[in-house]
Amino acid sequence: MTSMCEATTRALPGAAVIELRGEVDGSAAAVLNAAYERAVEAGHAGHAGHDATDSDPGTVVLDFAAVDYINSTGIALIVSVLARARAERRKVVASGLSAHYREIFDITRLSDFIELFPDLDRAVSQLTGPAA
Amino acid sequence: MTHAVRPTPRRLDAFTLASEPGNERLALARVADCVADVGLGAARLERLKTAVAEATMNAIEHGNGNQPEIPVEIEVTQNGDDITVAISDRGGVTHADSGDHADPDLVKKLDGEQSPRGWGLFLIRNMVDAMDTSTDGQRHTIWLTMRTTGDAHDEHV
Repeated sequence: MTSMCEATTRALPGAAVIELRGEVDGSAAAVLNAAYERAVEAGHAGHAGHDATDSDPGTVVLDFAAVDYINSTGIALIVSVLARARAERRKVVASGLSAHYREIFDITRLSDFIELFPDLDRAVSQLTGPAA
Repeated sequence: MTHAVRPTPRRLDAFTLASEPGNERLALARVADCVADVGLGAARLERLKTAVAEATMNAIEHGNGNQPEIPVEIEVTQNGDDITVAISDRGGVTHADSGDHADPDLVKKLDGEQSPRGWGLFLIRNMVDAMDTSTDGQRHTIWLTMRTTGDAHDEHV
């Protein structure tokens, strides 16, 4: 099945951002897993003005602002990413979820383990700000 | 003694889909179109769309085994304040017993003690006001009912 999901990644001090677009369903598995690996590697490789040794992405930000559909298989993929991140002692946060998908994150209890931010800017400013 | 007269169910739409992965998106779009004017609030419409997509996906995958030539049948009716979507496949008893009936446990999933999957029926149950299933021979049907008069606090969109 052709994936209707795309992902771009970027590294920030101490965090890796995965910006998702399209549909997070079963066909998104390869895209999401590859994006996670890319994001973590990019964090390890360092970013402008920071040593690689200081830049382990302790937090992975999943941005859903451009996602218009998540189904139960997509939820399972997010659970898998969260399980992997926890095993690697990384935190996962999410931004840009619609009210409907925030409700689904609450019902599934994903929001007990993934801090939710209204948008990516607020997630990034909290993660990379002076108090972070 | 007077008796309340219950309105006769009104069919809003009926259609079939080939059992191909991804066609659940067609189902949710068509159901959303046909209930656009019945008075469902935005949040409740989103819930119904998710439930329809999940139930159709189950029918395609578990009911009809992803065999395109076996159709999924969908009927949408209105009975007073109730909007009901009936989704039927040919999975029979096997399908009825194969679902993820127990609530998924996220902690167990994160610890590797449960598969990460198994959210479909759980989502459906939590999205709609009522859910029923029936099996008649090979025909398995799930009924999803959403009232147009939801609580005000449900409207978060």
